[in-house]
Amino acid sequence: MIAAVRPDSWNLVLFFHVLGAIVLVGAVATVIVLAATAGRRPERELLSRAAFWVTLLLVLPSWLVMRIFGEWTRSREGYGDEDPTWLGIGYIVGDLGLLLILLTGGFAFWWSRRRGEGWQRLAVLGFAGIYLAALAVTWFVMAGKPD
Amino acid sequence: MGTYGWLLALHVTGAFLFLGGAVSAGTLNVLARRARRPSEIALLLGLTRIPLIAINVGMPMTIVFGLWLVVHLDDYTITEGWILASLLLWAVSGALGGLGGQREKATRLEAERLAAEDDSPSAALAERLRDRVSNGLSWGSGVAGLAILVLMIWKPGA
Repeated sequence: MIAAVRPDSWNLVLFFHVLGAIVLVGAVATVIVLAATAGRRPERELLSRAAFWVTLLLVLPSWLVMRIFGEWTRSREGYGDEDPTWLGIGYIVGDLGLLLILLTGGFAFWWSRRRGEGWQRLAVLGFAGIYLAALAVTWFVMAGKPD
Repeated sequence: MGTYGWLLALHVTGAFLFLGGAVSAGTLNVLARRARRPSEIALLLGLTRIPLIAINVGMPMTIVFGLWLVVHLDDYTITEGWILASLLLWAVSGALGGLGGQREKATRLEAERLAAEDDSPSAALAERLRDRVSNGLSWGSGVAGLAILVLMIWKPGA
């Protein structure tokens, strides 16, 4: 029940936007789980490598799918120059999200190069945590569409 | 935000927890299959219990707030085909995920046992990780969840 009134031809575009967002949320949550666990485990080198590769191979591509199909959906909705507030929040979190993803990926790479040792783990945890919280606010606002 | 907005936002939150949790659990499963030592495999399979919490919170949320939406809106009735199909797929997804999860738990326990012995790579454990039934059940659960998303967006017959 994602939108009550919508032409059928838009559905595929919206489907990929939502699918990209769902995979993005799951992938960012995975990075958080890996980084949070690594602090107290001897397998921290494995976990640091996994966090980097999940960011590179799942978080970044799913962000691209979410963002491209989100823009495509917006172009069909015809809001003109005045975006509603909920869409503006989506844009802010979507665009700043790329910065947070790049920071997460960069620190995850640095962390993995240090064989899972060092403060970089906390940076990964922090940036991914902030982004997941922002995504949660965004899906709630974009679904509820408050005035 | 009116009642409809709140119900839809909570319904969608449930969907994100359910399907996002499934993505996370699937990713950790794939990582476990690529690991070599039993201790690493046991760790990664054990971590799937965290997204499982999200799935177990999200699945009831989708049903409760989804049915509430149907009652709240005059446009839909619970006997519509796409809603009944969604309910069926929800049950199928939960059942397949539960069965797959039981088999994965057995694999994790075996990995923990091997890790406690000498933690050397085991062909038998690798074979268990590639087990087609276990993987089929888990992926089948995810595909059923994806099919629900398709029905929610297209609403065929509505």
